[in-house]
Amino acid sequence: MTKQPGQAFKNCALTFDEARAMARKNGEKVVPTFCAMCGPNPTCGVYAFVKNGRFTRVAGMMESPINKGGVCPKGHAAPQWVYSPDRLKKPLLRKGDKNEGLFQEIPWDEAISIIADRLQQQKKQYGPESLAILAPAHRSYSNLIRRFLVVHGSPNYGHSGICYVQKEFAFTYTIGCQPRCDYKHADLIILWGRQPIYSGPAMGAVRSLVAAKQRGAKIVAIKPSVEPDVGVGDIWVPLRPGTDAALALSMLNVIVEENLIDAQFVETWCHGYQQLQEHIRKYPPEWGEQITGVPAGQIREIARLYATTKAATIDLGNGVEHAPSSNDAIRSVAILMAITGHLDRPGGNLLGGGKSGMPRPKTVHLPGSYTQEMIDKLVGPEFPRNFQPFWGGTSSSYYRILNSVLTENPYPIRTIISPGTQPTVSMRGSKRIVEALKKVDFYVVLDVTRTADMNYADIILPVSTPYETDHPFESKGNWIMARNKVIEPLADYKSIYEFFLDLGVQMGYGGDFWHGSIADYQNYQLSPFDLTIERLRKHPTGLTFKTEGTARTYENYSRVFQRRSAALSREPYLPQGKVAIYNTIFEREGFNPLPEWREPPESITGTPELTKKYPLILSDYHTSKAYSAAWQRNVPYLRELQPFPMLHIHPETAAVRGIKNNDWIIVESPHGWMKVKAELYPGIRPDTVMILHGWWQGCRELGFDDTPLLDGGANVNNMYSVDGEKAFDPLITAMSSQTLVEVRKYEC
Amino acid sequence: MSAEQWGFIFKQENCIQCHGCEVACKTWRGIDLGVSWRRVINIWNGEYPHITCSSTSISCMHCSEPYCIDVCTTGAISKRDTDGIVLVDTKQCVGCRACYDACPYKVPQFGLDGTMQKCDMCLSGKPGIPDFTQNAPPCVSTCPTKALVLKKMPASEKKEMEKAMKVFFNQSDEYQHV
Repeated sequence: MTKQPGQAFKNCALTFDEARAMARKNGEKVVPTFCAMCGPNPTCGVYAFVKNGRFTRVAGMMESPINKGGVCPKGHAAPQWVYSPDRLKKPLLRKGDKNEGLFQEIPWDEAISIIADRLQQQKKQYGPESLAILAPAHRSYSNLIRRFLVVHGSPNYGHSGICYVQKEFAFTYTIGCQPRCDYKHADLIILWGRQPIYSGPAMGAVRSLVAAKQRGAKIVAIKPSVEPDVGVGDIWVPLRPGTDAALALSMLNVIVEENLIDAQFVETWCHGYQQLQEHIRKYPPEWGEQITGVPAGQIREIARLYATTKAATIDLGNGVEHAPSSNDAIRSVAILMAITGHLDRPGGNLLGGGKSGMPRPKTVHLPGSYTQEMIDKLVGPEFPRNFQPFWGGTSSSYYRILNSVLTENPYPIRTIISPGTQPTVSMRGSKRIVEALKKVDFYVVLDVTRTADMNYADIILPVSTPYETDHPFESKGNWIMARNKVIEPLADYKSIYEFFLDLGVQMGYGGDFWHGSIADYQNYQLSPFDLTIERLRKHPTGLTFKTEGTARTYENYSRVFQRRSAALSREPYLPQGKVAIYNTIFEREGFNPLPEWREPPESITGTPELTKKYPLILSDYHTSKAYSAAWQRNVPYLRELQPFPMLHIHPETAAVRGIKNNDWIIVESPHGWMKVKAELYPGIRPDTVMILHGWWQGCRELGFDDTPLLDGGANVNNMYSVDGEKAFDPLITAMSSQTLVEVRKYEC
Repeated sequence: MSAEQWGFIFKQENCIQCHGCEVACKTWRGIDLGVSWRRVINIWNGEYPHITCSSTSISCMHCSEPYCIDVCTTGAISKRDTDGIVLVDTKQCVGCRACYDACPYKVPQFGLDGTMQKCDMCLSGKPGIPDFTQNAPPCVSTCPTKALVLKKMPASEKKEMEKAMKVFFNQSDEYQHV
């Protein structure tokens, strides 16, 4: 980026007219588009400025109802990401051995035909299920992945098993759907394993949280360490990582024992309260204290506060989806919401959203196409087969797909495609993952920049950033807008969308892939709007639909509790048409009908014999202020915010080990070790240490080298157990991100 | 000196610690790597388990009585009569860093050329700078929760802002000054 000393502009949150006026004055071009710097469905509106053909900076789009002009640090750093020396430039074909790093540049057409030939041949030889595509988070292109797999005949959509869908499952099979939080009317907001600030700081949830705080709502944050949401909060409940189920069970114990329930709701709308009354006696707060480390008194206090505050909402985050007790944690929370009368009432947890007034784009993921045969062929189901398909289609767990390559049980996956995901740093069990990537027949990587595991790839495809392409359009709430191209692609790039369309055509599936036309693909999706993409593009800041005039209705129990499931059987999620406190479907399928506690693979209370050697609990952060998952360490302005992998450690815990702030340290678990830096952090449990996940990438501009993926690096996923019996939730995958470690000063 | 001076107001209760202002400043002013005209710093309050965090977003306060000007040996730093903005003339700066030592907020920064640089409120009026009496600079306008305000204020109010910022800044502890 060129330095322009002394140059300043009057505003960086602009209306379209202001943006154009500013651009004119400065000899620039302005392009309204979406920010593309964070994960699933990025929909903050921005104005991108281009000077002499170079993308220079962004301003927040005032007209966007999503960010209303706000932009976070990631959004502002976009130009450095686009112009990074780490960008891939040409399609690459592997020449040397795996991990040797020898590649040959080839044209896109050739790359696509090599992939198509291999997939055709494997389909013939091993069946279509031999293909798996990794899709850890739901992004705008995920439905194209589903479509490609369905048309090809493979059920193996590889969802991470640790993000969003786990909550969706446990909530839906307990209260009919994943509820929304009514921040607007709540007097008490409980943020539980949730990080609303780093996950989209410019979006509505944060504005609502700050507004709630300012009108006097009380905010409670439940998590092992202090993050900015605790800063907004009134009460911090510091629990041990992975013990959310135990906390929820003890809260249920208090509420049941003290009869702080909504008796009428329980009587009318709950199934199995009597069994719960008996069952929950096992979990008094004193038991909860032992497991969670939260004092029994505080467990009682929080339980009473929640049960006796009429307008109280729980915002449950992804933090609860990373433990073998995850399903029981989530449904215990769902039961808490139900029996205290907080479901679908003002200020509580709402069942279903309000009406947006906007039609929904036509989906492309072919949800009606799944057959029993496909379900039977799942290589490693994310949810048991009788619950498939679940959210948008069938799914195997990301880890189990890779593991099948090594175990060949029930069969080995032959081709893995990784569009925008890095298995070695984003999935637990890095050592197993590396072995699987070495062994798998054919591995295809698509990304914008170098990836952690591209040296194991057979084909690497360089994709455009969303600033170099004019699709897809995005829609959220009551707003829809076309994406506009900010600059021409800097090298030989295609988008991930073009890749799947082109590959579809090359495979002979052209009829299902709009014969390769991105315009037709978008027009198909836009058909409910009576719009074409060209006509949508004529509205530079998109279209905002009026929300429907009718006020939202509450207590929609009879409707929501009757929902039919997505599973092939289409049996209702709630067989009794009531909240499934006692879950007869889980019981029939061989799981606990009532929520129970299950220890992580290694923990202070579960494996006390390990605590002599490994006395501290290790877990990791899912999000950060500077980075999206394992990406963007190469972006200098972001790397300056978080230059080093820092282990948060309580000053007293550090002191007894002779560790000072910023010291290099060794962190060792039964499964691996990391070399990272210590950040003496007063806001963390003294028995727990935590670090951000996803570290491997260097930043050339700032002189940071890459770090090893396995032992000696800073990859926390190398530290965890992947024991098939202990590390997974038996029903919803939810892999553990807790282990035990010892920390010592690094001596060079 | 004019009766009214430009000054930042930081509303701590609105700050969510996202650091958007810090990076907005860098990209909009094309700032060198390793240099920050604006920083968001963490403040710990209390002790475990009764501990929480807050932050302050700090840039040059354009003080009513700038310490940096007093200690500058070459007269490179000046306070503009019309609106109180503190400006640095890099041609006169010798990079001795006396201003850094004197600044109560540790604001002065030194880039590749070794001379002092810092926030000019996007109002230095150097060639090519549009007026921004209508709107706010990038750090202010990017804020999702409107924690920063830039406005003209009487000197007495400005002194209050400086005092409040000093309190915030002194609460930040050794862990965060790295």
